[in-house]
Order: sequence, then C-alpha cells, then structure tokens
Amino acid sequence: MKNLAEKPFALIGVHGNDYTPQKLKAVMEKEKLNWRSFADHRVITSKWASRGTPTYYIIDHKGVIRFRWSGYPGAKAIDDALEKLITAAEAQGGR
Amino acid sequence: MKVERLIRYLAFSLFVVAAGEGTSAAAEEKPSTVAERYQALLKEFQGTSYAYFQATNDTERQAIVARVDSATTKCLELVEKNPSDPIALDALTYVVTQEYWLNTHTTHPGWGAESRQARAIALLLRDHVESDKLAETCKRVHFGFRQECETFLRTVLEKNPHREVQGTACLRLAQFLANRVERLDLLKDQPDLAKRYDTLYGKDYMDALKRQDRAEVIREAESFYERAIAKYGDVRVPQYSSTAGKQAEIELFEIRHLAIGKVAPEIEGEDQDGKQFKLSDYRGKVVLLYFWSEY
Repeated sequence: MKNLAEKPFALIGVHGNDYTPQKLKAVMEKEKLNWRSFADHRVITSKWASRGTPTYYIIDHKGVIRFRWSGYPGAKAIDDALEKLITAAEAQGGR
Repeated sequence: MKVERLIRYLAFSLFVVAAGEGTSAAAEEKPSTVAERYQALLKEFQGTSYAYFQATNDTERQAIVARVDSATTKCLELVEKNPSDPIALDALTYVVTQEYWLNTHTTHPGWGAESRQARAIALLLRDHVESDKLAETCKRVHFGFRQECETFLRTVLEKNPHREVQGTACLRLAQFLANRVERLDLLKDQPDLAKRYDTLYGKDYMDALKRQDRAEVIREAESFYERAIAKYGDVRVPQYSSTAGKQAEIELFEIRHLAIGKVAPEIEGEDQDGKQFKLSDYRGKVVLLYFWSEY
C-alpha cells in the first residue's frame, strides 16, 4: 500500500476473534501490525462481515460506505478506490 | 542402480496403463450401473477447482476446463436417460454447480442457449420440486445468475410441502435477488465482465435486468427476508450454524444499513490498548475498515 501518512486517511481494523484488548495487542505486536483495531469479541463482525473475514469497507470522508468486498479484492482495487476518494476528500478540505 | 530403478519404474507404469485399458474394455462389455457411472463422473470433477488454481499455464487450464465441460455434459445426459434413478437429484445439483464454476472462475465460453444448468433446472422442476432433500440444491441454485435459478427458488417456495425446505428456499430467494442486484452494480464499472455476462446469459436477459427498478427488487428481497424471519424463524439451514430467521436478520441489516451509498452505522469499542473509540471519530477522513481474524 502506498504511503498515506500525510493524507486524510485511516486504516481501522476490527478483529473478529473473541480476544481481550491485551491479547489482541500481544498478537499485533508479534505480527508487527501497526493499525488501530477494535477488539470486537465477534459482536460487530457477525453483522458487518457476515460472509466471513477478510471483509473490507471503504468509507468516504462524509461517512458514506462507498466500497465493500467480502474476500481480498487485490491491492490494486483497494488502492484505486482509496486514491479516488482521498483526492475527493482533499478537494473538499478533508484533513 | 539408477538405470535399473528407471526400468522397473517404466515397466510398472506400462503395467498400470495396460491394466487401465483392460478395465475400461471390460466395462464396455458389461455396462456399469447408473450409480457407478455417476461415481466415475464425480472422480472427473474431483480436485479440479484446486488444480485450476494451481495451474501454471493456459494449456493446463484449458485441459481442466475441457474435462469439467465434458463431465458436466455426461452427468446431465446420464440423468436425462435415467431420470428416476436415486442419483438424479444429486447429479443435477452437480451440473448446476459445475456450470456456475465454469462461468465465474474460468474462461469457459459458456453454453449459451445450450446451458447445462438451465437443462438441469428444468429437470429439477419437473421431477424434484416436492423433494424433502432440496437444501443443498437451493444453495447451489442461489449462487447462479440466470432466470431459471429465480424460477426454481420461487417454485420450490410455493409448491414444496416441507416447511424446512420452504424456509431454505425463502432465504435463498432473498439472497439470490440481492446478489443479482449487487452483481449488476459491479458490472457498471467493468465493461469486459459485462460483455462476458452478455455471452453467458444472453443479451436480452441482461438488458431486461438493467431495465428493472433497482429499488423495487431490493424491496422484494427484503420482503422475502422478512417472511423468512416471520414464518421460518426456527427452521435450521444446514449450511449455516443458525436458523433461516437469524441469517435473514443479519442480511436484512446488511441490505438496509451496510450497502454501498448508506451512511456507515456507528461502531464503538475498545482498541488494543483498552482505549474506547468510535468509527465516527474519523469523520473527515477516508477510512478503510478491515475485518480480520486469525485462523
């Protein structure tokens, strides 16, 4: 994935196993994963990812769902979608 | 030593080939039963999807597609000649599945008006609508795209006397309608795929689907989900670890609140540091929300 550090963008994980925050933190440190993640206990996941993980949503700067994939759609699909929406967010003064 | 081993190996493989020919010649002399022939066809299908995925070049892939094409046709013909054999329902379900796989996962050109899936569904409608063993068939049919799939699910829901089957058909019909709309949406940005759908399912059918009122179809899908909740709430659907009602509730929420174009519902919870946060904290930014888990 491209460098998006300076852009109006955030990657948020929702972790679907029934883990406490402590256990999730240990797993993420071990795997060197650096994004912020909800420790979900399966509650949100059962609704949002009813077809299983991985599931991806892209939400625009106004909070509207613009893309959704069940199963990995490939890096290009995600990159293209993000680029389009981030450009739009920047044009409208997103931070 | 090496040469000796090679010769032994060659001798062994020649023996195997000869033995193989021997059995097939014997089989021609004495026709095997329908069940035996069906088992042989199942072996043809075995592992094909994995092998296709693992194949490294087009020649290998084409060989696998040709094998599935031929086995699917033979499977259908076997039932056409022996419609009342106990394997008929299972074999027809296999035909439905294999055509779906060829259409969506391979470069198979499709059968057009000669669709094996359409012919299989015609037989399912003729001979099996009242069967109590249609859960797997409904699942396989609901993955499909053509009109016959919709007709099948509607007919089973209406005419099947078993409440368990009705519940499954009701849920699968809702899913079929919702999936078809979702796939039509995706085709808008993918002209190559749209062309393939025209060839696979017929341009007239595709044009008719594009003309339908999207909101109206979603409403109809919702009404079948609602019916699954109200009438078949306790019916267990074998492919889910829950009931038709529970699954319908999840998918109804998805259609109403998680579809493209909807404002994302709030998520609140703790992060890995135990700190409380909300999805809406990120309003103003583009968010990639990634549902993941470990296996």
